[in-house]
Amino acid sequence: MLQRTSIVDHIRINTLSFSSIFEIGDVSYIQGFSRAIANQRQKPLFRSDEGSFRRYPIFREPIPLPSIDEAVTMEVTQLNPGIKVHDIDVLGASSSSIVQLGNTKKIFMESRIKHIRHVTSNGNPQNSDVNS
Amino acid sequence: MIFQVYNRNLNVGNIRVIGVSSSSILLVGDAETIQLASTFDTPAESLIIGPFVPLSPE
Repeated sequence: MLQRTSIVDHIRINTLSFSSIFEIGDVSYIQGFSRAIANQRQKPLFRSDEGSFRRYPIFREPIPLPSIDEAVTMEVTQLNPGIKVHDIDVLGASSSSIVQLGNTKKIFMESRIKHIRHVTSNGNPQNSDVNS
Repeated sequence: MIFQVYNRNLNVGNIRVIGVSSSSILLVGDAETIQLASTFDTPAESLIIGPFVPLSPE
């Protein structure tokens, strides 16, 4: 199977953050993994040592994946072995994301995010210690 | 099953993306297999109503 070549005239990426990768060229295997606890509080009071991935089952629970064992034979004929893109503009890539110009055999990406909203109830004065 | 693919001309003008985030991928090219997994927990399940208590540290 002849591979295709990606031809990109111009690409502009503003920001790559939190273990993101901009890859030009071919790769045989990509694996990305990111996990995050995003905590929003009614009052902006945070401590630097807060948060434990071990405490929440969302970071441990197995994610079932379909096995890649389908009895399918793929025959690809490259009548034009080029992928042409004139211009790409990406504002940002974040949290173990990949921007790649080129070919890959296998890609496996995993993301686990825990959102927490923390509000202090206004009705009970005992619970309003955060309210100033 | 035989899956037959004919790749003819692929010509793209402009691609404009705001964000690629949380183990996502933007690929200009070919891939044999792509597997993506994601878990996301958000309120109501993750809503805490009560006094300020820091989350347990690592």
